[in-house]
Amino acid sequence: MLAKKMLRDISKHKAQFISIFLMAFLGVFVFSGVGGESVGLEVNVNQFYDDTNLADGWIYSPDINDLFLYQVDCLGATTQMERQYVVDSVADFKNDPDVTLHFVENNTISKFYLLEGEKLDINDSEGVWLDKSFADAKGLKVGDNISFEFEGYEIEKQIRGLGYSPEYVYHASTSSVIPDFNKIGFAYMSYKAFPEDNITYNVLNVKFDGTAENYNDILSYHMDGYYSTFVERAEHSSVSQFSEEMDQHKMMGDIFPVVFILIAMLILLTTMTRIITHQRTQIGILKACGFKNHSIILHYVSYGFWLVLAGSILGLILGPMTLPQLFYPSMSATYKLPSWNPAWSMDFVYVAALMVIMSLAVSYYAVKNISEEKPADTIRPKVPKVSTSGFLEKLGIWKHLSFNIRWNYRDAKRNKFRALMTIIGVIGCSALLVCAFGMYDGMNDLKEWEYSQINHYDSKLVINENATDSQIDDVVSEVNGDKIMESAIEIESDDAKKSGSLLVLNDTDLITPTDYDWNKVDIKEDEVSISQKMADMLNVKVGDTVKWHILGSNKWVNTKIDKIHADPISQGFIMSSEKLEDLDLNYTPTIVITSEHVNETYDGVKAANSMKDMTSSWDELTESMWMLIYILIFFACLLAVVVLYNLGLLSFTEIEREIATLKVLGFKTSALRKLLLTQNLWFTAIGFILGIPVGYYILAIMWESSGDSFYILPSVSLSNFILTAVITFVLSILVNLMFSRKIKKLDMVESLKENE
Amino acid sequence: MSTIIEFKNVNKEYKSGDHILKAMDNVNFTIDEGEFVVILGPSGAGKSTLLNLLGGLDTVSSGEIIVKGNHVESFNDNQLTAYRAKNVGFIFQFYNLIPNLTALENVELMKDIVDVNINGLNVLDSVGLRDHANQFPAQLSGGEQQRVSIARAVAKQPTMLLCDEPTGALDSKTGVLILNLLQDMSNNQNTTVVIVTHNAILAEAADKVIRIKNGQIESIVVNENPKKVADLEW
Repeated sequence: MLAKKMLRDISKHKAQFISIFLMAFLGVFVFSGVGGESVGLEVNVNQFYDDTNLADGWIYSPDINDLFLYQVDCLGATTQMERQYVVDSVADFKNDPDVTLHFVENNTISKFYLLEGEKLDINDSEGVWLDKSFADAKGLKVGDNISFEFEGYEIEKQIRGLGYSPEYVYHASTSSVIPDFNKIGFAYMSYKAFPEDNITYNVLNVKFDGTAENYNDILSYHMDGYYSTFVERAEHSSVSQFSEEMDQHKMMGDIFPVVFILIAMLILLTTMTRIITHQRTQIGILKACGFKNHSIILHYVSYGFWLVLAGSILGLILGPMTLPQLFYPSMSATYKLPSWNPAWSMDFVYVAALMVIMSLAVSYYAVKNISEEKPADTIRPKVPKVSTSGFLEKLGIWKHLSFNIRWNYRDAKRNKFRALMTIIGVIGCSALLVCAFGMYDGMNDLKEWEYSQINHYDSKLVINENATDSQIDDVVSEVNGDKIMESAIEIESDDAKKSGSLLVLNDTDLITPTDYDWNKVDIKEDEVSISQKMADMLNVKVGDTVKWHILGSNKWVNTKIDKIHADPISQGFIMSSEKLEDLDLNYTPTIVITSEHVNETYDGVKAANSMKDMTSSWDELTESMWMLIYILIFFACLLAVVVLYNLGLLSFTEIEREIATLKVLGFKTSALRKLLLTQNLWFTAIGFILGIPVGYYILAIMWESSGDSFYILPSVSLSNFILTAVITFVLSILVNLMFSRKIKKLDMVESLKENE
Repeated sequence: MSTIIEFKNVNKEYKSGDHILKAMDNVNFTIDEGEFVVILGPSGAGKSTLLNLLGGLDTVSSGEIIVKGNHVESFNDNQLTAYRAKNVGFIFQFYNLIPNLTALENVELMKDIVDVNINGLNVLDSVGLRDHANQFPAQLSGGEQQRVSIARAVAKQPTMLLCDEPTGALDSKTGVLILNLLQDMSNNQNTTVVIVTHNAILAEAADKVIRIKNGQIESIVVNENPKKVADLEW
């Protein structure tokens, strides 16, 4: 019979129970969906790395002979190694695409991942295993022939298989961020396919025990001078680009869904408490009839339990199934992984379980509290708290205030819990909205800051590594440009060691270093400026000295910091070429920038990119971030609707009797509606005002955890700020109107007669 | 007839702030099995408190309440619950039915708490509501709701029926009907019925009349020849 009562209660208060279900569902859905996306990336890529036995590191040396192998083997930590000859070639097509050839000794490390054709055969001297994306772009099939030119050789091989490689999940040329598979590719061949009998290997793929740092130490200690570079897995361009992408997803995907689910949970729990409190007299009746406490508790606890359980499970299933599918298509255009599957993590289950357990605990506590009172009290409605005259009432002005204001003030004062919950709900919603729109604005600001405020050249020419000084000078005078040098560096302070970038500028007006307010920072010829984020990470300030070196060189130098600038996407130093040479380092320009639009190619120039190319590459690269932001905005709005509707419904239920009394006394419906609206507007305003700093704070945490290279300040544009306000107020007023319409229909007699 | 209920020096105090309210002040009385007892007194005299204490909805500050030889005042929460389930049938002024259960379901709800074979329809029949079995409380008139609540109370065959102003919210004609029903229960089924009211006319129909005032017993009168409720001058 109690089960019947429960079902009827639920169907009578549909809206409340649906909103409980929805809040549980939405919370878990967004949490596990957004989480499933980033966990999925991690699981897929790690699976791919494991399946193909991706190298832990790469040792580069001009001649990796048997002695070299013996020496590496003697290091002890090495568990597996394999030589390759890796060389850049030009494939025989009209646009001269760059294809990196790998002549492999047996392909047991960083294995070619076959999608079509035969397995890689080390005894096959006539076959080639080609990059699937490149083959698709060129319309090549298994069985076709393809020729390559490299180092004076020209070879023609038959395509035996097409596939991916773990070293080429992300593969873009140095001149562009976005891969263009019409222009770039890779190919694997047996060492037997090499045109000469004697092949000189230049890359050693290694697998080792222990950390990369440790291995690097051992390697440089024992073999210094015998090899040119060691690249660990985390520094590999494909691996690091993909993990950076994952980090970006994580940053957005970690904090926001957590806040989201917390708000959903908070409202869910208070709703359940209030639904149970509304049943106070019925609990009293059941007790008077002689129902045992535990059967009453069981009855009420099961109210929310099934709904929260169903909502959580549905969210747990649907979230990871649907949300990741919105991101993966755009990502799979840039990154090449054999599978794009969302993944479940036990964390989602824990969070869903926490939701269910919390709802159980809260309803248990609420019923327990009521059932512990004497049934003689429970059977009657809760005695209203005695109003005491507060500060405001004692002021003379009180008597002059309208009934509307006096009633609302007293009502809020007597029902502090209800007032508090409404305000907290509005705080949560507006904080989520501020945060979601802040993400939108942050990403826009970043683009504007980087590609208009700081960099305002029109074209960027990437200089060939082997270009001569005179070639560079010719280009500079031809395009009327400025030389700059970009380089990857590593900086060390007393507290930390971080990778960053070096930018060497000579008096150019095409790049303007700025501070975080986008004001120009003037860096003099003999000064070194460090970026704000880098300074924060290293915990250094102007006047401190740090140690740094250019990656690939072992020469460490000490530098005193003279200035601090800010940059949204590149963290490190800016200095002049004079300063660089003062430090006894070579000035080797890598880029020429110009305000002219350059289309032609010049000797010594690898590629020319226009600002438009770069911004559209940026747009493409951030496509999935944008997708995430839109999704978060959408769900923030949706949650706001559910939360505000639910709070309105609960408040109306609690206030119904009083409104009925006022109606009986002769108050006009319009006056009563105004009464409710006034209260609603006040609560919304207070919640909104308090919600802004909360949203800002969450946004700040989010940007702060956005990875080492990003530096974004939390800000919300005026238009989005107004939009947030409009959404919050409109939703809140709409919900209010919906309930105040009911005043007209309110049955005065019925709502007064029932003494419960 | 044997004594079934005994109040010995019962005191009940409520504290609100530093103010102490004596709701029951040294109350003594006895009730026999099957008696139809009316407790009279003005508003605030402590009638409801007396009934709540007897029904195990509230606990005494001091004194003894002995029901069928058991000391109710010494019961813990679980024992009180079991006591209410087995011995007490409550009838309230505002009926206090479960709004989401039909008349029949409200009666059959009692199956969940006592080991008595309840035929809900028969019980409803006995209060004349067989035809309204499947209606919800909101669809019934006040008198009908009160009859459902009587059906619910008697369904579990309690030792006593405790009625707190059972006709307070009803018109006099319907009230008589209800009181008649209660008197019949007392006479025919030997159920002890205790009615709290401020309507003095009912005194003539009672086997015993207990008058209280300011939490104290004013008088206890035993009627040798109680009138039929239906014969009273309303």
